Amino acid sequence: MRRAALPVALTGQAGMFENRREGLALALPAATFTLLVFLLPVAIFLSEAFRFEGSWSLQGYIQFFSEPLNQSVFFRTLRLGALVAFTSAIIGYAAAFCIVNLDGKARGQIFGLVVLPLMISPVARTYAWIVILGRTGIVNDTIVGLGLSDTPIRLLFTETAVFLGLLQLFLPLMIISLVSAMENLPRDVIPAARVLGANWFQVFTRIILPLTREGLVMGGTLVFTGALTAYITPAILGGSKVLMLETLLYQKVNVSNDFVSASVIAMILIVMSFSANLLLKRIATARR
Amino acid sequence: MKTLILSTSALALGLAASVSVANAQDRTLTISVYSFAQDAYKEALYDPFEEICGCELVIETGNSVERMAKIEANAADPVIDMAVISSHDALALAEQGLLAEIDTSALSSHDLLYPSAQDPLGNGMAVGYTFYASSIVYRSDLVTVESWADLLSPELAGQVALPNITGTQGPLTLMMLNAALDQDAGDFSPTIDSIGESADDIVTFYSRSSELAQLMLQEEVIAAPVGRFAWSRFQDTPFPFAWADPAEGQAGGMNVMIMTKDNGNEELALEFMDYWLSTEVQTRIANARIDSPANMDVEVSDEIAESLTYGADLINSLTILPPEDIIANRDAWVDQWNRTVIQ
Repeated sequence: MRRAALPVALTGQAGMFENRREGLALALPAATFTLLVFLLPVAIFLSEAFRFEGSWSLQGYIQFFSEPLNQSVFFRTLRLGALVAFTSAIIGYAAAFCIVNLDGKARGQIFGLVVLPLMISPVARTYAWIVILGRTGIVNDTIVGLGLSDTPIRLLFTETAVFLGLLQLFLPLMIISLVSAMENLPRDVIPAARVLGANWFQVFTRIILPLTREGLVMGGTLVFTGALTAYITPAILGGSKVLMLETLLYQKVNVSNDFVSASVIAMILIVMSFSANLLLKRIATARR
Repeated sequence: MKTLILSTSALALGLAASVSVANAQDRTLTISVYSFAQDAYKEALYDPFEEICGCELVIETGNSVERMAKIEANAADPVIDMAVISSHDALALAEQGLLAEIDTSALSSHDLLYPSAQDPLGNGMAVGYTFYASSIVYRSDLVTVESWADLLSPELAGQVALPNITGTQGPLTLMMLNAALDQDAGDFSPTIDSIGESADDIVTFYSRSSELAQLMLQEEVIAAPVGRFAWSRFQDTPFPFAWADPAEGQAGGMNVMIMTKDNGNEELALEFMDYWLSTEVQTRIANARIDSPANMDVEVSDEIAESLTYGADLINSLTILPPEDIIANRDAWVDQWNRTVIQ
């Protein structure tokens, strides 16, 4: 093969530059900036998680997980993250299947509606839930109006409120990922399966799911890690009664001045995000 | 010769300029204050002081924890010269050896302060500049609050917010609930357990008064303990909010001025503190409804007084939680609170 036929970026050979060092020199300011104002401070902050009484230790983690409150916050974060990812996958598949089967104009309009919330601030989107879920909100007005309850029921500052807020926040990411995956699905496979006698459940589990799992992994990773690391939504809809790791981290820094616990939480969040990504990638690349 | 004169003149001008720059730098005072009402403070305090002293004020704001952390982190070479903070946070800093003793002979208004504000820590390291009462704000069209115990009553279940234990209002609420529930004055443990048992009936545990005001205006909450400094947030709203006068009385607290140790700017810091404590400035700040005065000579109209913690009778009636008690017990309270209330 003639290497000259490949783009320069792929060959690694200098094309625009006299030599490799010139190219690297151009990247140096950005790399230095990132190193000094992001990587270094983060590394220093995270290293706190492994320091105890002046020496390297895992004591910070032992202390963190020995607190019942921290345990419940950890498992709540994991549970809500997984639930949001799972629910968004179910809703996302239905929505994506519908979108890819629409004709051009309607498809564009519906897809635009899916993307629209991403252009609105998460703060504004979360505050909308206060209007919806509040004591005088639409849901409670309906419940009381229909006679299902004599008084408004408590919806805000519950796990349900945080779940709904996170689902609404991250569902578009799942739908976009699944639409992208389904667009690459061969057009004839579903009709062929149906002709051969497969019911819709079999079509989904044996055709759609295996062929779109890269999209599912991408969407799942974005939704799960997004739900783990979201701050605004759990803070507004959950408050101090439904603490999640991110809101607990904020409390540790800004209320307790406890940077060791904060760096332990930050490290746990990073490990959880990377683990989820690795796990889902493994599922995606597993032999079919 | 001409060259020599020009050179000498240039050198002299250069030296003069450097001296003048040095003087300007010397006349810079860095203060650390609460972040609320900064526009009003600028008008009532900062701008007039800068004009009088010919100096520059550098204002650092944030919550108590952030500001204390900054003072602790820069203990060897203080970047903050003077700060205002709660009395128990001041005591915590004093116990770490981070504060300087205040030369009260340099404060011309010191004798005009309420006696409890003159040396609130008992070690000469703080001077009180404002008091605040703490009671229960409630919707008078929906409910009547006559006791702190009403916060945990079945009638208010699901419609009450309490301050988080980690804030200034948290321990004050615990103290008053403790009294209302007839518990041993020195032991908040049974009261925290009682709150834990009612945790499902409490809408949320708020951290900032602005957060509470929002919840009350959205009708999520109809009663909650709050500091008097936040009362103006509830006035002039569409809802009839009232300030409770509970049978157990109102709790109270004091914010104080402190000076960091070895900051090298003590003289200017004392000048600023003296100005802030003067009758003129304390009256201006009171009339702007920013802070309640600690200066006994301040006189305000009845309308303004209604918004403040004003007057000897009210101030002397407040139940104060000693700063040393807060420092000694805070960790245990937070620990029990996390186990029995938040979890």
